[in-house]
Amino acid sequence: MNLRPALRWPASYPLALVIALLAFVPVGVLVGLASDSAELFDAHNLKVLSNTLLLMVFTVLGSVAIGVPLALITAYVQLRWRRLWLIVLAAPLAIPSYIGAFTLYAAFGRGGEIQQLLGWPMPAVNGLPGATLVMTLYSYPFVMLTTRASLLSLDASLVNAARTLGMTIAASLWRVVLPRVATGIAAGALLVALYTLSDFGTPAIMRLDTFTRVIFVEYNAFGLSQAAMLSLQLLVIVGLVLFLESRVRGSKERPGRHLTLWPSRAQKWLMFLVFTPVIVMSIVLPLAVFGIWLLREGAGGFDVAYAWNSAHASFLAALVAVVLAIPVAHAAIAGRAGRFMERLTYFGFGVPGIVMGTALVYVGLQLPFLYQTLALLVLAYVLRFLPLAVGSVRSTAEGLDPSLVKAARLLGASPREAFQRITLPLTIRGMVAGAALVFLEAMRELPATLMLGPTGFETLATYLWRVYEAGYFGRAAIPGLLLVLMSALGLALMLSGERRAEFDVTGK
Amino acid sequence: MQRRAFLHNLAAVGAISCLPMSIPRSLAAEAGAVSVDQLPKLEGEITLYLGRGEGGLYENVLEAIRKRNPGLKLQIRRGATAALANSIVAEAKAGVRRADVFWAVDSGAIGLVSDAGLARPLPADLTGQLKPGFQYPQWAPVTGRVRTLPYNTDRLTPEQIPDSIMALADSELAIGWAPAYASFQSFVTAMRLLEGEKATEDWLRGISRHATSYAGELGVVMAVERGEVDLGFANHYYTLRLKNGKPDAKVGLAFTNNDAGCLVNASGILALSDGDLPINFIRYLLTREVQSYLASEAYEIPLVEGVKPPQGLPALNTISPPRVDLTQLADLRPTLNLMRRVGVL
Repeated sequence: MNLRPALRWPASYPLALVIALLAFVPVGVLVGLASDSAELFDAHNLKVLSNTLLLMVFTVLGSVAIGVPLALITAYVQLRWRRLWLIVLAAPLAIPSYIGAFTLYAAFGRGGEIQQLLGWPMPAVNGLPGATLVMTLYSYPFVMLTTRASLLSLDASLVNAARTLGMTIAASLWRVVLPRVATGIAAGALLVALYTLSDFGTPAIMRLDTFTRVIFVEYNAFGLSQAAMLSLQLLVIVGLVLFLESRVRGSKERPGRHLTLWPSRAQKWLMFLVFTPVIVMSIVLPLAVFGIWLLREGAGGFDVAYAWNSAHASFLAALVAVVLAIPVAHAAIAGRAGRFMERLTYFGFGVPGIVMGTALVYVGLQLPFLYQTLALLVLAYVLRFLPLAVGSVRSTAEGLDPSLVKAARLLGASPREAFQRITLPLTIRGMVAGAALVFLEAMRELPATLMLGPTGFETLATYLWRVYEAGYFGRAAIPGLLLVLMSALGLALMLSGERRAEFDVTGK
Repeated sequence: MQRRAFLHNLAAVGAISCLPMSIPRSLAAEAGAVSVDQLPKLEGEITLYLGRGEGGLYENVLEAIRKRNPGLKLQIRRGATAALANSIVAEAKAGVRRADVFWAVDSGAIGLVSDAGLARPLPADLTGQLKPGFQYPQWAPVTGRVRTLPYNTDRLTPEQIPDSIMALADSELAIGWAPAYASFQSFVTAMRLLEGEKATEDWLRGISRHATSYAGELGVVMAVERGEVDLGFANHYYTLRLKNGKPDAKVGLAFTNNDAGCLVNASGILALSDGDLPINFIRYLLTREVQSYLASEAYEIPLVEGVKPPQGLPALNTISPPRVDLTQLADLRPTLNLMRRVGVL
C-alpha cells in the first residue's frame, strides 16, 4: 500500500492513530470533569459497587448454568429441527434487555398482565433477583454460542477413547469435553459480564441501584462531575473485564469427527423441559405482552417519525463508522503499531452508553455548535460501535490475497485503480456487514440517545422509555415490536456470514 | 405566598367540588378567563422544554396549540422536570441557550431557573389573569396540585393512617414513593424547611426501610391500587385520573394535617428568551379552554380566575396545607444532597 518511501509509516497509520485517540476522548473528558468532584467514594457508593458486582456475578453464573448445557445439546445431540432450535435459543440476543425487563416487570407481580389474564397470583420481578433473571435470560446466548463454537472444534475421538475405557457419557462430557472448552465458556462469560456492566435499562426498570442507574440519576440532577466520577469507577471495572478477555486464548485442536449423541425419547422430553421455560420467559412472554397491549390499546400515540428518526441517526452512524473503520482496519493489517491502534478503538465498545452520554453532554456544553445536534449523537454511536465495523472490515480485508493486488499492479494498474477494481469490490461485503451491525446496535441504543438526542428527536428507544416512565405501558407495543424486529434482522446477520467468527473464539 | 389563603379562596369560589359535574361546564361562569379566540396567532420558531410527567394530556394541549397556529414551529424537548431545570442552568453557564420557554410540573424547578436570573419578566396583564396569591413577576403558575396519601382501601381504613406525615416513618405500613420525581423532591424540600434537616433525614431513613420506589407517581398510585403497597406519596390528580378510568379502583385519598404531606404546589411556565412569542405562548396556557381542559381531563386545579376546579377533590377547607413560600422550594440542591446521603436517590 505504501508507495511513498519518504514515509516510514503505512499511509493509513496517521488516520488510524487519530481515530484511535478519538476513542479516548470520553475518558479524557471524564477525568477532567471528575477532578472537580469532591466525593470520591461514600457509603452509598459502596452499595452501588456491590449491587453492580453482584448483578454481574449472578448473571454470569446464571448464563453459564443455562448456556453450557444448551451448548452441549445444540452442538452434539441429534434432534429434529436442530437448526431451528439453535436459532430460537439464540433469539434472546435479538431482544434488547430493557424490553425484556419492561415486559417482565409488567407481566409479573400483583395486578400484572399474567394475573389479569389468568388470575394466577405472581411474585413481582424486581430488585437484584429480577435484574439477574432478566440479564441472564438475555445474555446466556453469548455463553451458549461461544461454548458451542468451542465444542464443535473438538475431536470426538477423545470422548470415544474415554467411553471405550469405561467412562459413562455424563462423566466423559464432564471430565473430557468440558475442560477443553473452558476458554470458550470463559469468553462467553466475559461478554456477559461486559454486557451486564453497561446495561442501563434493566437495572433502571428493576429499580436496582447499579452504576448505570446512579449515573443517570446524577446526570438528571446535573451533578455532572459526580456522574463522571461514577463513570470512571465503572470504567475501571470494565477495563478489568476487557483485560481478562484479552488474556483468554483458545487452544487449537486438530479438527476431527464431531461427537454425535442420540437421545432416547425420555431424554428428549427432558431436554424439551429445559428449553421451554427459557424460551417462554425470554421470547414468548415479551411478544405476548406486546401483543396484548397492541390488541388492548391499538397503535395510539405512535408516530412513524420515531422509526424514521431511529433509522436516520443509525444510518448516519453506520456510514461514518465504516468510513472510519477502513483506515483502522488497514492499519491493523499493516503492522504491529496499527494492530495496537485497532485495539485502542475497541475500548469504545466497552464504554457504557450512559458513560459516553455523560462525557459527550459535557463536550457539547463546551462546544455549543455541537450541543443537542444530531452530529453529537452520531459521534456517540460511532465511538461506541466503531469496533463492530472495524472487525467486519478487517476480517474481510485479511482474507484478501495480497497477490491479487500485486498482480493488478504488475499488469499496469495504478495503486488507485488496483484499489478501486480489486480491493474495494472484495471488501465491500465486510463493509456492508459492518455497517449493518452498527446500524442495528445504534437502533437499540437507549441511554446515550436519551441524553444527546436533539430537541424533538424522538426515536423508537427513547419513545419506549418515555412511555415506560409515564406509565402508558400500552403504547410501548409498536415501538417494542419494531425494535425486536430490527434486532432480529441484526441477529440473522450475525449468525449467518461474517460474524460467526466473532463468536468462534477458539477457532481464531 | 399565602398557600392557606389560596386554598381558602378556592373554597370560597366554589372549589368544594364534591358535586357531580354532569352539567356541561358553563361558559358564563368562566367569563373571567381569556378565550383562545381573543389571542393573537403564534408565528415563528419556539423551543419548549417540557418537564414530562403528565403523559398524553399536556401533549394534547400542545397539539391543539399547534393545530390552531399553523405558522408556529414548536420544538419540544421532554425530560424529567428537575433534569430540564438543571440543563437550562448548565446551558446558561456554558453560554448556550436552547429553550425559549420552560414548562415545569413543579414550582421548585421553576424557582431553580428563575433564581439563576434566567427568567424574563412577564407583562402585568398576563399575571393579572391569575388568582391572587399566584401572581409572580417572572413566572406564571399554570395549574395547582395538592400532595396526598393515596391508600389501598382493601388494606387500610382512613383511621389507620396517621394525620402527621412525620409519624408515617415509624409506622409499619408498606409505602410506595417516587424519589426521583420532581414533585416529591419539592415535598422533601418543604419538609426540610418546616421540620429541619435532621428530622427530614431521619424521616427519609425511616420511610426508606419500608418503601418501594417507582419511576413516577402514577406508578405509585397504580401500585397502591394493585395492593403492592398499602399507601403512597403522590400528587392528587394521579388518584383522580385512575379512579376516572377505573371507578371501582381500590384507592382512596388521605391528607395529613398542616405539614409537608399536604403541600400545595403548582406547575408553572416561564420565558427564557425575549420577544412576544414566548409571552403569547404562555398566554395560551392560561386561556379558559386550556385551563378547563386541564381541570376536567387532568384533574389539576385551574389557577386563572373563573375556571371550575376538577371533580372528586375533597372540600379544600377540610385540608390545612402548610405555610411554605413556593419560591423557597427552589432550594433543591440541599434536598438532593440529603436524599443522596440517605441513599434514596
